[in-house]
Amino acid sequence: MTKTIAIAGKGGTGKTVIAALLINLLSQEGVVLALDADPSTNLNQALGLPLRDTMGRIREEFVEEVERGRLPPTVIKQELLDYKIRDSLVESKRIDLLPMGRPEGPGCYCAANYMLRHSLDQIAKNYDYIVIDCEAGMEHISRQTTRDVDVLLLISDPTIRGITAAARMRDLIGELRTKVGKICLIVNRVKNGLPLEIGKAIDDFGLQLIATISEDPYIADLEIKGTPLIELPQDSPLQAKVKQVANSLGL
Amino acid sequence: MEFHIDLGPQYEGESIRKEDFYVEFGGSAVKYKFERATLKSPEEVEHEKVEIIGSDIKDLEEGGSYPLAILIDVAGEELEPDMEPVIERRIHMYSNYVEGLWHMAQRNDIWLRLSKNSFKKGLNSLREVGEIYNFLFTSEIPQIEKIQTTFITDEKRIEELLPSALEVYEARDARARELKDEDVDEFYYCVLCQSFAPTHCCIVTPSRLANCGAMNWFDCKAAYKLDPEGPIAGFPKGECLDPLKGEFSGANKIVAEKSLGNYDRVYLHSAFEHPHTSCGCFQAICFYIPEVDAFGIIHRDYGGVTPAGLKFSTMAGDTSGGKQVEGSCGMALELLRSAKFFQADGGRKRLVWLPKEIKERYKEFLEADGVYDKIATEEDVSNTDELVEFLEKVGHPWIKGEVELPG
Repeated sequence: MTKTIAIAGKGGTGKTVIAALLINLLSQEGVVLALDADPSTNLNQALGLPLRDTMGRIREEFVEEVERGRLPPTVIKQELLDYKIRDSLVESKRIDLLPMGRPEGPGCYCAANYMLRHSLDQIAKNYDYIVIDCEAGMEHISRQTTRDVDVLLLISDPTIRGITAAARMRDLIGELRTKVGKICLIVNRVKNGLPLEIGKAIDDFGLQLIATISEDPYIADLEIKGTPLIELPQDSPLQAKVKQVANSLGL
Repeated sequence: MEFHIDLGPQYEGESIRKEDFYVEFGGSAVKYKFERATLKSPEEVEHEKVEIIGSDIKDLEEGGSYPLAILIDVAGEELEPDMEPVIERRIHMYSNYVEGLWHMAQRNDIWLRLSKNSFKKGLNSLREVGEIYNFLFTSEIPQIEKIQTTFITDEKRIEELLPSALEVYEARDARARELKDEDVDEFYYCVLCQSFAPTHCCIVTPSRLANCGAMNWFDCKAAYKLDPEGPIAGFPKGECLDPLKGEFSGANKIVAEKSLGNYDRVYLHSAFEHPHTSCGCFQAICFYIPEVDAFGIIHRDYGGVTPAGLKFSTMAGDTSGGKQVEGSCGMALELLRSAKFFQADGGRKRLVWLPKEIKERYKEFLEADGVYDKIATEEDVSNTDELVEFLEKVGHPWIKGEVELPG
């Protein structure tokens, strides 16, 4: 059974770093499909993987070719998209990465998205884990996949804005067709314990706090050098916490 | 027959990752690749022969990507040339029946991977793959009396043969474009857009593709097969009630059901009385111009206005929403190629205004109907008065009364 984990949160909370660490950790247990659904597309850097085409670009190109009537009538468009999506997959030893790219422009995407969902679902079932680094609107989850999400990890920093954004994303995913198993909150970049106001906000929003993580001294250094974040030393507090979270969620 | 690996449809969903393949053929990393099935006379086919031109799997370096052509030659009294593409598509299906063999796409886009596991089990030669093809093809398609399979891995040889394969594909596409409503018994409907337009139901026939342009009859056929419970499904076209307007009892029945009873008749090839509904997804709008009693087309990417001064977005608002709007029909641009393009109303010969880009794109078809140089664009006219003047000046056949409505 494939386990699907979605990671969401306000920008600047360390969402992609946590996603990359979790992906790396899970790849020791099984084969992972990493879906970068954030249009700024930098999960590949964090994982130290190259970038090929994005699903967004493939979709735009496809819509354009359809518009121009350039596709042969008997070449089944679904199969063509299956091929292109498969081709855009960045394959490494235990982790494959699929960048989803920008959301769609104007025009009709009903058919394109329908076909993309099919392509992606076909690919996804071959993995032990799927980790989705979500964009704020979480539209990719509803439009490009029919998968249910087993765990939604909301990442926030210790700010009211971060917590509010996390709560909003929880509500948003509730409005989508996607079924979600557990929903948990991680507060990252905490200095000297969680402020009382933040703890209260978490309670008020009814969020389930699973971990607080303090600022990781190694991260800033890696970020400056642009080194893949998965090269964090084993004694990194962030690394240890992610392991702890994965264990407690039974992943 | 005995093979080193297992065979069966249970392997169809199997995917082979980079880490797990022994070799791959084709794909985007390889320039020359194709597959082709050819109907031949019995004396041209040596039954059950497998030939390999170039290196075999066991001679190739592990982990590499290589060129490949797969040629399936068949003979049989009951086989017809129309079956070539059907047989060719089976290469995909039968390859995926093979444990540890993965096949994607078709024609000159093929991509195959052989797993390390199956290689270890002994599937180390294309000869065995060929024997599997010969076995599966003859046991599943009884009309095939003789079959021979050729694999070419020699890049130069594939490069030489590719152009003739491309010609065959193109000829097939040309034939497919000629397929008409009367040639088939099954039509398809698509309700993908019902989240936007709950009463809209696209009827897709060989002569009419979906309004969005993304789904033609062949795509729908494939989609229905992939997901029989999905938003795209087939139905018997039923009785043809009006061949010119394109009214079919089967389509009427489906529209009544899927439009929640809002409509019970649909004309597939007319913009009047019971025109097809429009979702919000159409690529273009075919609109009636009362001043000249003729039609214009405006498409989504055109930023300007019609001679009446309307933008696409304004007109789309009045056309969309799953309504039947007489004289304002959402459509796919490729419908302009169809021989039945609003045929009951006069077809392409009744077009008087098009954005320049569209006029140029469909030049061939407009020329064939003798109207290419009679149609005004945004460069010729900027209002309806100028349009009337232009059409009189160039002598548009519709305006001159030279176009007879069929029927």
